[in-house]
Amino acid sequence: MRNFLIKRLLQGGFAIWGVITIVFGILFLAGDPTLLLVPEGATQEDIDLLRHQFGFDRPFIVQYWDYLLGVLRFDLGQSFVQNIPVVQIIGPRVPFTLYLAGASLLVAVGVGLPVGVITAVARDTVTERILMPIVLVGQSMPTFWSGILLILLFAVTLRILPSSGAESLSSIIMPAISLGALSMATFARITRTSVIDEMSKDYVRSARAKGIAVRAVILRHVLRNASLPVITVAALELANLLAGAVIVETVFAWPGLGLLAVQSIEARDFFVVQAIVLLGSIIYVVLNLAADILYSAVDPRIKLHAGTA
Amino acid sequence: MKERFLGGVVIAVTMAAALLASVGAQAAKETLVVDLVNEPATLDPHRQWNPDSYYAYRNIYDNMVTRDSAGNIVPQVATSWQAISDSVVEFKIRDDIRFHDGTPLTVEDVVFSVKRIINPDFKSPQLGQFNQITDAEKVDDSTVRLTTNGPYPPLLAQLVKLSIVSQAYTESVGDEGLNRNPMGSGPYKFVEWRSGVKVSVEANQDYWRGAPPFAKAEFRTVPDASTRIADLRTGKADIAVSLNADQAAELASESSLQVLSTPTERVAYLMMNTLSGPTADIRVRQAIAHAVDRKLIIDALLGGYSKPVNELLTPAHFGYGGDSQGYPFDPEKAKELLAEAGLSGGVEVEMITAPPFDQRIVQAIQQQLSDVGITMNIAMSDMRTFLQRRRGSPDEFGNLVFGRWSCACQDADGVLFPMFHTDSIWSKYSNTDLDKLLEAARTSLDEAERMKNYAEANTLIQAEAPSIALYQAAAIYGARKELSWQPTPNESLFIIDMAWQE
Repeated sequence: MRNFLIKRLLQGGFAIWGVITIVFGILFLAGDPTLLLVPEGATQEDIDLLRHQFGFDRPFIVQYWDYLLGVLRFDLGQSFVQNIPVVQIIGPRVPFTLYLAGASLLVAVGVGLPVGVITAVARDTVTERILMPIVLVGQSMPTFWSGILLILLFAVTLRILPSSGAESLSSIIMPAISLGALSMATFARITRTSVIDEMSKDYVRSARAKGIAVRAVILRHVLRNASLPVITVAALELANLLAGAVIVETVFAWPGLGLLAVQSIEARDFFVVQAIVLLGSIIYVVLNLAADILYSAVDPRIKLHAGTA
Repeated sequence: MKERFLGGVVIAVTMAAALLASVGAQAAKETLVVDLVNEPATLDPHRQWNPDSYYAYRNIYDNMVTRDSAGNIVPQVATSWQAISDSVVEFKIRDDIRFHDGTPLTVEDVVFSVKRIINPDFKSPQLGQFNQITDAEKVDDSTVRLTTNGPYPPLLAQLVKLSIVSQAYTESVGDEGLNRNPMGSGPYKFVEWRSGVKVSVEANQDYWRGAPPFAKAEFRTVPDASTRIADLRTGKADIAVSLNADQAAELASESSLQVLSTPTERVAYLMMNTLSGPTADIRVRQAIAHAVDRKLIIDALLGGYSKPVNELLTPAHFGYGGDSQGYPFDPEKAKELLAEAGLSGGVEVEMITAPPFDQRIVQAIQQQLSDVGITMNIAMSDMRTFLQRRRGSPDEFGNLVFGRWSCACQDADGVLFPMFHTDSIWSKYSNTDLDKLLEAARTSLDEAERMKNYAEANTLIQAEAPSIALYQAAAIYGARKELSWQPTPNESLFIIDMAWQE
């Protein structure tokens, strides 16, 4: 177990370093932001002076090395657009994104799991025929569209929810539904497949033969076994939610990391973009590790050792 | 229509909501809510130069001078000014302005503000707009003297953008502190900046120009235009910035909303490479000028909000003549000119562009050029590559570029000099006669003399067609019906100029 963890952590660190390097390289290739900071008509001298002041005229390797050393000291650099440490910009946004991701996951699991179980158990019934198209719609609707539809219905027409922002408690509802709908469909489908799979196994037949009620078999035995693929998906879905948050946060003006990422990329605010990517890759690595550990908790047959990775 | 779609089920809810809304509306308007596109990059007025920042911070600060509704430069912090020599101007400073912390605004604060923004170590992106000022010094308790690097006619136009900060406060909180907790002498006091959510300000009841119209104001960050419109419709926001003509049309059909629009100092142009490629031939440039149907572009794509102009300036600029004839839309004439140039068999040109530019207009131009036998290839790239080619040598540039130019100074010098002077990196034109005119206008403080230079420059540009003017771009805002406000060409949002009528 300990060897496994050490190996996975090293792998994770390597992955994160790779991400930093690739993103730094892409941002560097995308050009220094001096040109975008100066007003139209700036002279070459103005541009050169500002570029030098920001240090963008130094060689790639020097800028890269400086940045890496900074990250190791937990110094994510200074935003040159806002002129404050990046941590101060990212910090206030993290809770908003976690809140949104959590609420969306709640919507996704809260709706997706029961729907998956019901459609698995009630195969070829009217219930399934009603529920499956809903799942399909949830999966097919792009968030930027479903978001605007939700705003038109609940904010503009019904006037029961705020149309944008994060100023009141009810502000989370529409973004969470919009973002959660995508993952909800995934959860429903995976749960359904997994439950159907388990239902056909011998232990279910034995349990039924012993006279245990269908409901009890499903709740006590099938769900536990069917939950393995669901856990994997949950870890991946949470990462997907963070990616999807970019669009949902933009539509609903939700002040999280996704919105910040879009705005920082537009402003070429290098170090802010870097920090968001860094945070994202750390979350991804941690979630995957958490999924592996949860596996062994749910299914004792899976022993964590260095080879599992 | 949506109500019909939803059916009778929602009528009761809607009526109840409408009732509640009308009860709310009867109270006096306490808070004005503005939906911006992006979060202000900074509230330090000497640093970032973008609308989302200055929409907010210009309400917190007073500027050295300002513009009245007719666009004339009028006193604000400076009450009067007098040229001592060609490169020295003395300004008298008001003695009754107080910062929000109660301390008086002094000559020292003005000197400090100028020196702060022109210090290269401060790294202000606005440096290029102010670095013709070489020194600022105190003469006496009510007089400040600015020295420029030679005669500099746009000085006042640049000082319209110079906000005065408190020296004592800035030194005590530092640059970061001033950014996160700005403190000025303007009509609104800073209250709170909730990152990514909003900037809140409250009225400065002791403001020297009188109490502002709303007790509070909020600048929210709402990147999606559909959401900004939804905010207006639900009453969550009172003004939304940066709408396009289609969105304006959507608003116009709502009885509770209005579209506010003004022609800005932004001039849309089609610039041609006179130094390389087929557009080096003046007949090809004139053919292109005749082939473009500006009226169609304005009516079909811009909802009629923008105004056609025949020179590379707008009526909001000093130096605008208004008597250029331009090149009327005439495809036959264009074909003739191409035939004269020996290109009746067709010619290929390349237009460089990037995503921030309205691609519908780029494509319309492509279509209009193809109608007269010019094949226009669109070279779309990321902004950095685009800017590199845009500023690059004539051989890198391609043949055409569509853009919208604003110097944010409302002076011909800020447009014509960088766009056409031989030494400018943005120019793809070289003509010693024009260079002389632009230099003369740049170094003369005689307004009549400058007007004459620009009139001649415009005539030359008209004849040579290194660039053709398309239209004066409009700024379109959406607002609640109750708001009365006249937007200005310099795209500012001064809340003190607004009013609310129930």
